[in-house]
Amino acid sequence: MDDTSTLVGAAAGADPEQGLRAVRALRELADRLETLQVRRARQLGWSWEHIAAALGVSKQAAHKKHRKA
Amino acid sequence: MFERFTQDARSAVVDAQQVARELHSPRIDTRHLLVALVAARPGVHDTAHPGIYDTLRAVGLDPDDVAARARTAIVGDDPLDRAALASLGIDLDAVRAATDAFFGPGSLDAAQNRGPARAHLPFAPDAKKALELSLREAMRLREKSIGARHLLLGILRADSPGGRVLDGACVDAGVDLTALRTALDQAERAA
Repeated sequence: MDDTSTLVGAAAGADPEQGLRAVRALRELADRLETLQVRRARQLGWSWEHIAAALGVSKQAAHKKHRKA
Repeated sequence: MFERFTQDARSAVVDAQQVARELHSPRIDTRHLLVALVAARPGVHDTAHPGIYDTLRAVGLDPDDVAARARTAIVGDDPLDRAALASLGIDLDAVRAATDAFFGPGSLDAAQNRGPARAHLPFAPDAKKALELSLREAMRLREKSIGARHLLLGILRADSPGGRVLDGACVDAGVDLTALRTALDQAERAA
């Protein structure tokens, strides 16, 4: 992959500014996907225990973060 | 308030919504309104007024440059940075295509608000403020209806992100902001 040096650069933080922006973007993307997936799981009737276990967090944490979604 | 909007002002609001969707923004702020407004030409029923596009040109501003600046500012604020994700090997367009297909069009953008995708994007607080101020600008100029020009004056009055983009464009072009305000006022009075 031709992008390997860029990839390593951003991830390893050759330029902290770029690396940090990448981390922020990744977290944002993960948060949004989590919102969409949790909402769908709830619509399919999944319990908070089940969702929390899949996400690897406590039931309380999952419920607190997503009850309004 | 919207019932007092002229056709031009309504079009600008509709266009701002379109700009926000295009740039994957969760809300319409004054920068989206600015992009929509600077492109405004005289309306069919409004030919006595020069459009904002021509008014900007007359004071020495390039409307296309103003729009480009506003778009750059909007994209720069997007936490879902396409280039940053690409540096990690993630193709945002591919992710978006997948979420559009699976969760519905616009779902990834709407998830930023933790809400479902809506038919209409909400206004950000700065845009609400600018819309309110546009009413005041129209009243100040003793106009019954709120036109596109009043909206732009409202954005300038609001000390908003959109106003700051316009301010920056004025500074770089050596245009006095007061001259722009006056030109917008007088375009109204000439009617």
